[in-house]
This record gives sequence, structure tokens and C-alpha cells, in this order.
Amino acid sequence: MARQDSLQGSLPVMVLKILGRRGPLHGYGITAQIESMSKDVLRVEEGSLYPALHRMEEAGWIKARWVTTENKRRARLYEITAAGRKQLEDEEVRWKLVTAAVGQVLQRA
Amino acid sequence: MSWLSRLRNAANSARLDRELREEMESHIENRAEALMGAGMSPEDAAREARKRMGNQLLYRESSREARLFPWLESLLQDVRFGSRMLRKSAGITMAAVLALGLAIGACTAAFSLIDALLLRPLPVTHPERLVALSYPSVMAGRPDGDSFSYPVFQRFRDASASVAYLFAVNYGPGRQVASFGGSEEENARMSWISGEAFGVLGIPPAQGRTLNAGDSQRRNPVAMLGYSFWQSRFGASPDVLGRWMTWNGRRFQIVGVTQKGFYGLDPGFLTDVWLPIENVARDAKDLANPEVYFLGVWGELKPGATPERLRQVLQPVFAGARMELRRSFERDGIPPAEMPRILNAGIKVESAKNGHANIVRLQFQHPLWILSIVAGLVLLIACSNLANLFVARADAREKEMAMRAAVGAGRARLMQQMLIECGLIAAAACAVGLAFAQTAAPALVDRLMPSTMPAYLDLQLNARVFLFVALAGLAATLVFGAIPALRASFASPDAALKSGGRSSARTRALRPLIAAQVGFSFVVLFVSGLLLVSFRNLMNVDLGFTKQGVILFGLDGRRLDDAGANRTAILTTLERIRQQPGVQAASMSNIELVAGPFAPLIRPMMRMPGQAGTERGPFYLKVAPGFFNTMQIRTLGGRDFTAADLAADASSVIVNQAFARKYFPDGDPLGRRFDRGDDNGWAPQQIVGVVADAKYNSLRETPSPTVYEPLRYVGGARLAVRTAESPAAIGPLLRQAVTQTNPAVRVSMMELESKKIENGILPERLLALLAGFFVLVAAALAAVGLYGVLSYLVVRQTKEIGIRMALGAQRGAVARMVLTDMALMIALGSALGLAAGLALARYVESMLFEVRPSDWTSAALPLAALAAIAVLAALGPLTRALRVDPGTALRCD
Repeated sequence: MARQDSLQGSLPVMVLKILGRRGPLHGYGITAQIESMSKDVLRVEEGSLYPALHRMEEAGWIKARWVTTENKRRARLYEITAAGRKQLEDEEVRWKLVTAAVGQVLQRA
Repeated sequence: MSWLSRLRNAANSARLDRELREEMESHIENRAEALMGAGMSPEDAAREARKRMGNQLLYRESSREARLFPWLESLLQDVRFGSRMLRKSAGITMAAVLALGLAIGACTAAFSLIDALLLRPLPVTHPERLVALSYPSVMAGRPDGDSFSYPVFQRFRDASASVAYLFAVNYGPGRQVASFGGSEEENARMSWISGEAFGVLGIPPAQGRTLNAGDSQRRNPVAMLGYSFWQSRFGASPDVLGRWMTWNGRRFQIVGVTQKGFYGLDPGFLTDVWLPIENVARDAKDLANPEVYFLGVWGELKPGATPERLRQVLQPVFAGARMELRRSFERDGIPPAEMPRILNAGIKVESAKNGHANIVRLQFQHPLWILSIVAGLVLLIACSNLANLFVARADAREKEMAMRAAVGAGRARLMQQMLIECGLIAAAACAVGLAFAQTAAPALVDRLMPSTMPAYLDLQLNARVFLFVALAGLAATLVFGAIPALRASFASPDAALKSGGRSSARTRALRPLIAAQVGFSFVVLFVSGLLLVSFRNLMNVDLGFTKQGVILFGLDGRRLDDAGANRTAILTTLERIRQQPGVQAASMSNIELVAGPFAPLIRPMMRMPGQAGTERGPFYLKVAPGFFNTMQIRTLGGRDFTAADLAADASSVIVNQAFARKYFPDGDPLGRRFDRGDDNGWAPQQIVGVVADAKYNSLRETPSPTVYEPLRYVGGARLAVRTAESPAAIGPLLRQAVTQTNPAVRVSMMELESKKIENGILPERLLALLAGFFVLVAAALAAVGLYGVLSYLVVRQTKEIGIRMALGAQRGAVARMVLTDMALMIALGSALGLAAGLALARYVESMLFEVRPSDWTSAALPLAALAAIAVLAALGPLTRALRVDPGTALRCD
């Protein structure tokens, strides 16, 4: 299982991607999405998601609001913003470049 | 870390923490449910969910940092940077702080007066439950009445026992002469009040006990001292209890001192001595007489009761009482047509939370609001002034802003930067303003109030004043910071790379600001000018008599037995007074001339020979022989009153010119007869003299027909003495002479006629005084503002001017170029200001005298003043523009 530290860098881009695809989600929903899509490989200590979410919120990439869910619970829903989408594009490009580069190094070295 | 950020942090952090906790808890619940769905036991699921969450405290802390610190950090940074920028131009900053501080101070001084007089709750336990009773005046157009007779008060009290605790209070016989042990007499401000009132109001004693319901029944009357009087007169000595006070020939034993801070029920008045109302009034036989209105009736509503409920309970009682007084209204000459309005009048129950209508409040309410509007306008001038300054500065910092935008600062951040700089200035200005208001407001009160009517206003700073200053500062920041902030937000990165250019776009932005500033200044000059001219007119109005050099003494001769005793007292007293050294002339009248809106007026009915008319006649004034000589009212024909005219059956009267013109337009009024009607029926009157018109009741009136009849009873008459001596020098002597002539006659007060008249126009005086001050402030701000803008424009246009001059433009053309724009803006601003001024003038119209807002001079004066200010402001920048050297101008950037 991956250690959370090594995942910190990639967490924002994953969150942005998920929010971009699935629309508004609360924290647990985002965790569940990451888990199911990465087939449990990328399991993080779940609490670490929140500081990341809040930093992204301060940066203006996502925005949040409190809602009351159908089972009468209050939940904080996160949603991607225009700035977030732009950030996601940039990050995806950079991610692809980096992974490609790392892949090449691993292949050729 | 500054206090501001700490405050924000503390205010935010509790909520933030709760939210973070809630968010994580809901995550854990969701996770636990999912795990249970996969077959885990509830306990295991909960444990596992928590474990997967990790160290919650750690994450919460790190979230808090994420959400609080970026904002705080940027704020701190901006504050630090802002104060550095402001310090860099210390001179401009100081000027800005002073200008805004003066304006905020003026507003605050006005507000603290309004607060002390009108807004602050009375110093009682439940001010919100206090109510006071009043009713529409019998005379149409006069202020509401709020005096009741004792029998009516008793009926009110009995009827409303289930709804409220009613008590009676006398709005003050005012300053009285009393002695406290020693032989010397002193002035003390007295109030009479129902004994039970202190219990109802919840005022505990500071010493001894309060007055109580039992005191009204006591044979030995008691008194209670006000706290500050106790402190100043008796040095807060506790052995004052049990001492005796002599007043009006009676002895009162002092039983207590009121709580500190309880000045009474009248904001503006401080009571020195409280006496139980029943005890004081019983002597005067006033208590049982339903026609002697001398009590204010107040009440504290019982919990749950409403003023409306109390009104419903009292209305039938009030209507009954009015019906019983019908006869006396008829006697007073109320025409039958007005009777239904009077008899059907409703009682009013109004909240007395902040005090009830009294003379001070009635007089100053309106002027104080006018004053605050003008102060607000001055604040707006200061704001537009600062906006100008900041736009100019923002322009100078255009490169800085563009550079910051280029390296990634957002619009919000640039706006925040500008607003914080404005906020820093406003905060400093608030401090200056508070200090200014703290000295200005009490000085104002001292300046205004006469020594005989000293106002007691608690002008200490309180939460409301602080809140007001904070709001004024905030509003100022938003008003003068908004434009520079918006402009800063439009800073585009590429501008950093260019230089110069676009100057016309920049200068255009200043235009509305110049117009606004001129407009506000115009309104202030216009309205202030109206008030100043009015005051001058009032002070110089022809009274018809000479107010200087007349001392008035209030007499009390109610203990004189019969007509004969009164007649003797009047004649011997006058004779004795006239013999005193320094006295030029002396006489008496039932009330002094120009006594003001609250003075009782005599207006009986009148009937010309051969006519049936019962219409209300002219005003009457009762005067003793020698009155016209004393007041220096010109005698136009006939004779003055003599001792013989004081006989009860004498019919001689003296009339004024207005009377002669109205009733005897053709022919000599001397010797003519008419009838006057009152409760004793019709009495014949014969005119023995005609005198020139003189103001009767108010400075604003046009001379109305007036009849002078002989004063036959001393009652509460005024003794008028013409002398060159000062009241302090001659007053005690004359006072002594009065009592020595006749021990039954007392002197209750002493005042200069001129002072009395000036006191009658205190509100106008207040407005004139402040209008003068505001004119100066507005003029100074306008001059500084226009100078600043013009200087800036010239600097911006240096290159253009240089090019034009290099191409051969004449100096006149350059001057036109610099000035045209400004002249247009001044004209536009003045036009807008005139429109606003005329609208506002309708609100001040009641304070004006012999000046009309629509007169062309009213507008011409401020316009001329503004033009002069503009010329002065333009001189410097204009000479600089004309001295521009084309060579240098072209070479510079």
C-alpha cells in the first residue's frame, strides 16, 4: 500500500478530476471514488484529504457549501470552479509529461 | 500580530472549528455505515472508520491554517505595506487625517449632543416601560400640552392601577432661592415629584432614604438632594441627613440623597432638590383646583401592558375632565366652532424611554437634526477630497499596481490594498475626531446655555458614540476608498511596460469628483448662509423697545391679601425701587415682553360699540405706571397710567399703533371705547393713550394689535428696572428693597431682558454658531481639494502643455485649457448643489427669519465664495502651467 506522503502531490489533481467528472461530492464521496477507481491501491489516511480540500478551496480551485442530505445529515459539498478546471488542464498536461518522462527513464535506464 | 487580526481570528475560529469537526464526523459515520454494509459489526466498523481517518486533531489544525492564514497574512502584509506607503508621504497623510478627522469630529460632536439629549435612555431601572401623557393644545397650532391638574392626576392613577404605576412630576419651578442652614440664600434647581415615584422608578438612595408615598401625608415636609448637588454643595458629607432647608418660608428636612447618575427625568436638566409634590402644592391651594395644570403625569407600565392599553383606560377619564372644563374654555374665549375639536381630543400615551418633550428637547430637536445633516455634508466634502487625493496618488502608483498585477496579484488583492490604506487614514481620523468632539461638544453646550438655564448633559463617551465614530470611519473609508480601489483593480499588467499616455482618460475620472466636491460645498455654504443671515436679522430686528440695560425680577406676591394690599404693594415697591441709586426707571408687567412660546398669553374677547361680535380680540399685557418709559416704547399720544388707574373700576387702557390701525382706521383712537369679555362678563374699556408697536411675544411676529391694561395684582409679575449697573452689583440691593417694602412679596429670579431675549433664540444661535464653523471648514476643504486636483492636472498635462507651447500656443490658450474643464465642473457642481440646497432649505425654513432660499442673494453669496475659493486654489497650479518650459516638458517622460 502506498504511503500517504508520496500521494500528497497527486491528491489535488485527482480530486479536481473526480469533481470535474462527477459534479458536487462531499469528502467521503471523494474518498470512496478514489478508492473504487484506483481499485484500493491508492488508499490514503482519510483525514489527510481535508487539509488538502481546504487549501484548494482557499486557492479558489474548488468551492464548498453546506447542504442537508436526504437522511437529514449536514454535509459539505465540494464543486470545481472555472479556475479549478484550468488548473486541472495544466496539471494533467504536466502529469502526462512527467509520467511519460519517468516511464522513458525507467524503460531505458 | 496586530489586535485587528487577533480579533478576527478569535471571532472566526470557534465557528471554523465546529465546522471542521462536523465535516470529519460525518465522514466517519459514512465510512462506518459502508463498513457495516460489508458485514462488519457496528463496534468494529466505528473503530475501523476512526482508524482510517487518522489523527483528526492534526488534520483539523492543518485545515485551520489553510483557511485562516492566507487571508490574515495578506491583510497584515497590506497593513504593513500601506502604513509604509502612508509614512512615505507623511505630509499628505497628515493633512488627510486632519481634514477627515475634523469632519468626523464635527459629526461626532453633533451626534453626542443628539445622543445625550434625545437618544439616551433615562437613568431608571426600566426606561423602556416609562410613558408620559400629553394632549393636543387647546389653542390650535401650539405645542402639545403635558400639564395636568392634581385632581385629574388622581383620577388617572385610580383608573389605571391595574395597567401602570402612575406618578406626577412638576417640570420644574426651575431655579429657586433657598437656604441650607446658614443665613445666606442660594440657588438650587428644584423638582417636585410624587413620593412614590422613586420606588416605581427603582432609584435607590445613595444616603438616607428616598421620598416615599407616606411623605405626601406628613405634616413636617421632607426633601431629598440630588447626588451632584450633595457632592458640590455639601462635599458629600453624610451628616447632611437631618439638616433643614428653608424655601418659600417653609422648612424641609433632608432625608436622603439620590443615586449617583440620576439627574432626573429631563435630559438637559439637573435637579438639586426633590420635594414631594403634595407637600409643596398644598399651601398654594393648587392641589384641589382642577383648573391649575402644573403636573406632568408619567407612568411605568406593568409587565405585559402596552401604551395603547393604558390609553384606552385613560381616555374616558380625560374626556370627562375636558367636559368639566368646558366652562373655563368658554371663559378663555374659545370660539364655539373649535369646541368639538377640544372636547373630543384624545389623550396621548407616549414612550418616555429617552425623556419626554420638554423645552430643551422641543427647541433643539430640529436644529440638532439640521446640524447633523450639515455635519454629514462636511464629512462628504472631506471624503470626496480624499478620494481626489487617492485617485491622484493611485495614478502616481499606476506602475506599482501594474507590476503587482503582472506578478499575479488578483483584483481583489489590489482593491484590498487600496481600501486598507484608506482605512488606516480613516482610523487615525476617527481618533482625531473623537478627541475633537470630546472638547467641542461640552464647549458648545457651555457657550449656548444661559446661566439661568444651565444644561446638564452627560457627554461622556459611551458605546453608542464609539459605534457612531466607527461607522462614520467605515462609511468614509468606503466612500473615499471605493473609487481608488476600483481603479486599482483595473490595473493591467501590460501597462507596466508602457509609459505615459492615456492621461486624458485619467483626468476625466476626476471630473465627477470635482463636481461632487463643489456640489457638497455649495450646499453647506448655501444652508449655512441662510442660517447666518437669519440669525443676524433676528439679532437686529426692531423690537420697538430697548432691551439693553433692563433687569427683570420675578416677583411672587400670591400671599398678598386683597386688591388693596396688591395695589399698595405695586405702588410702594415701585416708588422704593425708583429711589435706589443707579435706577433710571422701574415698572412692572404680568409677563416680560418677548417671553417666548411657553409664556401664558392673555387674549380675551372684544366687542366694538354697537356690534355683537364675540370674536377673539387683541393680546393684552398688564403693566404698572411707567412701563413705556422703562422699556423706552415711544408714546404717540395721550397719557401713561397713573395710580388712579389701578382702581378696580377704572376702565383706562393704552393701545398700540397696530390696534389703532385695525380698529380705528379713520380718526383718533384717543378717548374711544370698546368692551372686553372674560369670565366676569363684559367690561368697558376707554383708550387713554397710544404707543408705538413693540414685539409682544416673539421676535418673529409682525406687530399685532395689543392692549395694555393696568396691573392690579402682583401675582407672578415681572419687575423691570432700567439701570446702567450690572445685575451682580445692583441685584441684591434691589432684591432687599423689594422685601423690605413689603415682606409678603418675594423675588424668585433675576435676569437681563437682553439675555432673556437672546435665550429665546438659542436654537437659532446654535445653528448660526455652527453654521459659521462649518462654512470655514467647508471652504478650507474645498480650497485644499481644488488646489490638489488642479496641481495634479497640471502635472499630468505638462507634456501636452509643452507641445502646445512649442507649437506656438499663447499663454491665454494654455490658461483656458487648464481652467475650462474646472470651470465647467464648478458650474455643474454649483447647479447640483443649488438644487440640493433648495430641497434642504425647505427643511430649515422654520428656522429662517426675513430671508428666503429663493432670493437670488441666497445663491449668489455661496457662488461668489466658491468662485473666490476656486480662483485662489487655481493661482498656484496656473502659474506653474504657464511657466512650463517646452524643452524640459518634451524631454521628460
